[in-house]
Amino acid sequence: MTIHNLYIFSKNGTLLYYAEWNRLNKSGITKEEEAKLMYGMLFSIKSFVNKISPLDPKEGFLYYKTSKYTLHYFETPSGLKFVLNTDNATQNARELLQQLYREVYLEYVVKNPLCQLNEPIQSELFKLKTDELFKKSPLFLSRSI
Amino acid sequence: MRQQMIDTKTTPHSSGEADECLFEYLHAEMVNYTLSKSSNNKEGEEELSRLEWMGFSVGYRIIERLTREWNRFKDELDMIKFICTDFWASLYHKQIDNLRTNHHGVYVLQDNSFRLLEKVGTNSNKQYLQESPRLLAFTCGLLRGSLANLGIISTVNAEISTLPSCKFHVQVQRI
Repeated sequence: MTIHNLYIFSKNGTLLYYAEWNRLNKSGITKEEEAKLMYGMLFSIKSFVNKISPLDPKEGFLYYKTSKYTLHYFETPSGLKFVLNTDNATQNARELLQQLYREVYLEYVVKNPLCQLNEPIQSELFKLKTDELFKKSPLFLSRSI
Repeated sequence: MRQQMIDTKTTPHSSGEADECLFEYLHAEMVNYTLSKSSNNKEGEEELSRLEWMGFSVGYRIIERLTREWNRFKDELDMIKFICTDFWASLYHKQIDNLRTNHHGVYVLQDNSFRLLEKVGTNSNKQYLQESPRLLAFTCGLLRGSLANLGIISTVNAEISTLPSCKFHVQVQRI
């Protein structure tokens, strides 16, 4: 099981935070462009899923899977979006994202009066704690390839 | 009397999560508001005396309630000890980690993990070291106000060398 990378978007689509651990394939475009592309796709998937759902969509879009990787999506009621790419064997990445929101984002961004909300996260402590959380997670198995 | 009994049931330690962050967020906004109101920003020195004054008034009042069940203190050191233990514990849910004094009216109170700085940074990085003193002005006033109501006139300064620990220097003015 491997975790590839993480995106956090604000409710209006700003990339708040990006981190990567085991990413072998680079997109070949700048990080900003990639973030816009990612956000655009998520936005479309979300509205597509909600429109096409034959039943009440409740939680809506949760994840998608390709032959190589899985993208997990978690959105808070306040519109904050957490996106995590893992390999296909990974199961409950959603819980990990919820934990990231609850234990790291809330504690070290929202409760830090020197952090501006809805702007890219600068706090070193946040970066440290995010890294810690992922590295100690059982989903994280760093393979040096 | 009846009112008092009801009041003692709600001890400061039994407060839930929401009560705690309410103070933290309100404090953060007070700092922002004070900074936005202060006009002269000379030499990077921030105008925090209003905030300090707010802390003073709060401390002056809060000490009345906290010492309600206490006898009179026997000397200055006794009062400072009360500040380090009960006072600090009821406000910040922990005690002061280290108290030093030269026995001539200078006290240094060290908190190794001050609650208002805890979420800001760790000792491994120097980020926010410049901005964080503004988060201490209110607490300085709080100390000064509570000591004032106990009969000690003092000046209080704060110092941060590594986050999230900080030192409060209390200098008692002898008349």
